Amino acid sequence: MPLSRSSFLLRTLSLLLLGLIALAGVVVTNVWLVQRTQDYVTEVTELRRLRAAGVDLRSRLQDAETGQRGFLITDDPNYLQPYNDALANLAGYMDRLTKAAEAMPELRPRIEQLAGIINARLDELRQTVELAQQDQRQAAIGIVRSDRGKSLMDQARLILQEVVSAAEDRLGRLGRAQAESANALWWVSVVGGIIVVAITLAGLLTILSYLRQLAVTRQEVEALNVNLEERVRERTAELGRANEEIQRFAYIVTHDLRAPLVNIMGFTAELEQGVTTLQSFVADAGERETGPEYEAAKLAAQEELPEALGFIRSSTRKMDGLINAILKLSREGRRVLKPEPINLSALLENAVAAVAHQVADAEGEVSVDVRVPKLVSDRLSLEQIVGNLLDNAVKYRRRDVPLRIKLQAVARPGGLVNITIEDNGRGIDARDHERIFELFRRSGQQDQPGEGIGLSHVRAMARNLGGDITLNSTFGQGSVFTLVLPAQLRATTRSMAA
Amino acid sequence: MSDNAKSVTIIMIEDDEGHARLIEKNIRRAGVNNQIVPFANGTDALAFLFGPNGSGEVSSGRSLLILLDLNLPDMTGIEILEKVKANPHTRLTPVVVLTTTDDAREIQRCYDLGANVYITKPVNYDGFANAIRQLGLFFSVMQVPETT
Repeated sequence: MPLSRSSFLLRTLSLLLLGLIALAGVVVTNVWLVQRTQDYVTEVTELRRLRAAGVDLRSRLQDAETGQRGFLITDDPNYLQPYNDALANLAGYMDRLTKAAEAMPELRPRIEQLAGIINARLDELRQTVELAQQDQRQAAIGIVRSDRGKSLMDQARLILQEVVSAAEDRLGRLGRAQAESANALWWVSVVGGIIVVAITLAGLLTILSYLRQLAVTRQEVEALNVNLEERVRERTAELGRANEEIQRFAYIVTHDLRAPLVNIMGFTAELEQGVTTLQSFVADAGERETGPEYEAAKLAAQEELPEALGFIRSSTRKMDGLINAILKLSREGRRVLKPEPINLSALLENAVAAVAHQVADAEGEVSVDVRVPKLVSDRLSLEQIVGNLLDNAVKYRRRDVPLRIKLQAVARPGGLVNITIEDNGRGIDARDHERIFELFRRSGQQDQPGEGIGLSHVRAMARNLGGDITLNSTFGQGSVFTLVLPAQLRATTRSMAA
Repeated sequence: MSDNAKSVTIIMIEDDEGHARLIEKNIRRAGVNNQIVPFANGTDALAFLFGPNGSGEVSSGRSLLILLDLNLPDMTGIEILEKVKANPHTRLTPVVVLTTTDDAREIQRCYDLGANVYITKPVNYDGFANAIRQLGLFFSVMQVPETT
């Protein structure tokens, strides 16, 4: 199942929340149940005390009765000992029972009744014992025989029995309730535990599936990366092939265009020879011939034909120049570059020396400032680029100010070298900044010979070297050509460009 | 002009009729009157040079000079040059390569294969005419060995 990052977060968070709620439920229920158990325990203790108090009181009553009977029968005061002990403690036992009975308020009337009965019973006992001590045993036995004491004792026993069995009943109920509550505790714990475990498992599963998905995605990305590199290689190769195709096309076109041009020029020369013959014939015939037909022939031979031939000749010459320019560019593209360490300073000085004569004529000055440690590139291309730019700087100078040319080379981050050629010449109109790098395009006043090849050639060479050339110029103030080259010309650069 | 030179036949392999005519005219202007046999394609020229069986025996005893254009419709002049220089009956025949290509590598290739002279057809007609005329003079003083 596909999981987005946000749905993953939502899911794990809600599972966590559910788990927390379940856990809190279990804890609260447990605390409540434990509290209840404690209450049970307290109540059970009280009930036990009640039951014990009841039983104790009954024993004491019986002790008192046993003592009285023993004394009455034997008249031996020793037998009176249990009676005396019971009599001394009975009030305390009665108090204990009354207090313990607070756990069961419904018993209170019976307890009060019991207190009355016990008092009556004790009075009867005391009366008989006192009579016996005053040597009136027969009277005492007579009281006993009246069965009043027995009936009181039976009533007391009955009430005490009631109290004890009520307490036992209640204890039994409590025991069952406690068992139920323990059962409930067990269930709540088990069910709560199962819920928590289930939620934890669900969370774990979610996290696992998300992790698996992440791993799969990463693999896909890696595969894509490999693919991408492959595709880049393919595209580069395609580009290389396309470039080669263009070079070959340019080469073939220029050669095929040249063949008919050779014919045009050749036969134009033949025509010129013919016209020369015709001209001398017309000149000779001038002595014999007159009339409009002769004048027309003379005009054709002496003016019209030479003029037409002149245009044909100049046009074909121009065409030849253009074809040669294309040929030169295509050849430049096919030339194998030879990277070698170049002393840029020396190379620039040499280039300046080549135009020194023209610069001197223009009362000019050239400064060279090289701050590049080393450069590996194709010497011939670099010489041609710099030579071309210097020629342009000299050719398109302003006549009214002394020529100033500044050559500068600085290293740039990324293994690049900037070579700038700055002049104070006539400058180039902003709209022509890109156009002048196109083949057969020129800018500004057309007062210098040229075919508009130089800069396009320069750009082609710069790009072949893995670099480029840009222009920054203000019309009427000067131009700055910036040549950017890799400091290390690599073989791969070539394969990209070719 | 020696008798030997006169007996030399010029084989002109050139597909462009205009070029062929210009070359012929200028050779004649230079005063060379040897017979010129023109071929407009490589197949016909090879048939003439090596005979119907392709052995080249037909050329033994002939005194020939070949003017060869490199761009031909059916094959490149380089192939013809290779065949001529590889055949024992024609390998001594001088070959003048005449073409529009001034590519240094191509020129070197022709010389490597045994071309005797390489002339670029310039569009500048005066130069071209001059070259052809000089070629004519060259023919007139050249001793073309009779092939065996």
